[in-house]
Amino acid sequence: MLEIKNLTKYYGKVKVLEDLNLYIQTGTIYGLLGPNGSGKTTTINLICNLLQADSGIIKINNQIVSDATKAWIGVATQENLLYKTLSCAENLDFYARIYGLKGKKRARQIKTSLTAVKLLERAKSPVETLSGGMQRRVNIAVALVHEPKLIILDEPTAGLDIETRYEIWELILNLKRQGMTVLLTTHLLDEAQRLCDRLCIIHHGKIIAEGSLSELRQLFPAQEIVLIKTEAETKAIAIAQQLGFLHRRYGGDLAFLLPYPLELKEIIALFDGIPLHSLTRQSVQLEHIYLEVTQNY
Amino acid sequence: MMKYWDETIAVAQRILTELCRRRRSLIFWGIFPVSILLLNGFIFAERANLSTAKAMQFAAPSSLVGAALFFSCLGGSIATVVSEREQKTIKRLFISPLSGISYFLGIFLAHSLIGMSQTILVYAIAAFFGASFGGSMLLGFFIVLLSIIAYVGVGFILGTTLARRTEDVNALVGTFGVPLLILGGAFLPISLFPEKLLRVAKFNPIYHMNEALVDVWAKGKTWTEINYHFWFLCVFAFLMVGCGWLFYRRMLMVERRL
Repeated sequence: MLEIKNLTKYYGKVKVLEDLNLYIQTGTIYGLLGPNGSGKTTTINLICNLLQADSGIIKINNQIVSDATKAWIGVATQENLLYKTLSCAENLDFYARIYGLKGKKRARQIKTSLTAVKLLERAKSPVETLSGGMQRRVNIAVALVHEPKLIILDEPTAGLDIETRYEIWELILNLKRQGMTVLLTTHLLDEAQRLCDRLCIIHHGKIIAEGSLSELRQLFPAQEIVLIKTEAETKAIAIAQQLGFLHRRYGGDLAFLLPYPLELKEIIALFDGIPLHSLTRQSVQLEHIYLEVTQNY
Repeated sequence: MMKYWDETIAVAQRILTELCRRRRSLIFWGIFPVSILLLNGFIFAERANLSTAKAMQFAAPSSLVGAALFFSCLGGSIATVVSEREQKTIKRLFISPLSGISYFLGIFLAHSLIGMSQTILVYAIAAFFGASFGGSMLLGFFIVLLSIIAYVGVGFILGTTLARRTEDVNALVGTFGVPLLILGGAFLPISLFPEKLLRVAKFNPIYHMNEALVDVWAKGKTWTEINYHFWFLCVFAFLMVGCGWLFYRRMLMVERRL
């Protein structure tokens, strides 16, 4: 579906993307991750043909991106880019017309898109009267109305409450079930882990990790993580170092990386003599991999 | 060709629907020229010893050009572009296949319809007071159309360059517009101007819009008698459209990214 080869982009003399290579298969959800300023939005701008690459090519459906490929892409931006005084249906109708949809097909697509985001019953409500979550869903419906082949969702759940987030996740998974290809950017790593088939982590304009979650787990130097709370941290670290365990800090918590799984009693035995307030075992999550690869880079 | 037509209609319809929803702008764009027409008309009638009908006949063109078209077509098109930039909906338009030509034509069409409605309103009220209009309807229509094109063109230039927020619109209209309106004879009769100011006024397109309309619809003059104003307006209107287009392209270069 989407193929990016050796993509490089400069802003002035600053290289913002360097030799980027990506391949997104049809019908999958692909997560594009990275810190702010890593090059995610520049990549999206290039896919949408809003910017010109300095070198490299981007192909959608085997066709190099151009103004002609714009109709194949649907973009739901982080901000809700909607006409607030118009109703949901009027917003969709406007964009459907811009994308050249006519007559019954246009009416059908508006209905289908509003149904997909569960807002058909609010079709005539002005956007400004809807909640933030509903507006986000209208924003996604606008991206779907012209039946694009590739949907780009730029932080679709940023700033939303947990119930709305779950609704959007369900919607994204439904898009995949319908055979659509989704490119998702997000800072919420649990969201990326839950939704994406493959993930790509960009840092300083370069891909530093790419693959499925199980492939990315291979990059992490442990199979399990143990978080402990203790006043004797220095002593705990010294013990772990003697055993060859790495340690990290995750949001202030002290974590030890176990290169092989251990029984709980074995773990407790390791810290014998140390007053533990709590001990938590965790499997390796995307956030651990993300921190590992971005901090090591 | 059909693509451009469909897109133009979609943009125009969207702008008009938004304006109808908000209502306020449309109501004020009706009230303002009518009140200026009545004020000017009664002042002319009193001070120039004219009948009310004759005074309204002479007050209608300046009220239309200065109080109606200027604010709806120039101020309105600045506000349309600025509101797209402020709401960032323009970014979604960049992503879409909408062409810049259709976008401009859509704004032009929407504001032309408003301008034509204002023309009918102003002249209907003047007629209500007994004003009669001679001269060619078609020629008058072309002058109104050229005025709208010029105003939308200037609106595009200002909306894509100097105005970034809605508050900027009023400041811009005040700074550039009001002196030009006064100098164009929209609020004060040109006959009161000193000779030097009159020479400057001849470079002001509002002066030519006003004079051409007075000549055609109030004095019944023909095209050969007003062709100087007509050609000035033609050149100015198409120059503004050209510049508006260039500034729009420039804005695309700067802002065309998410």
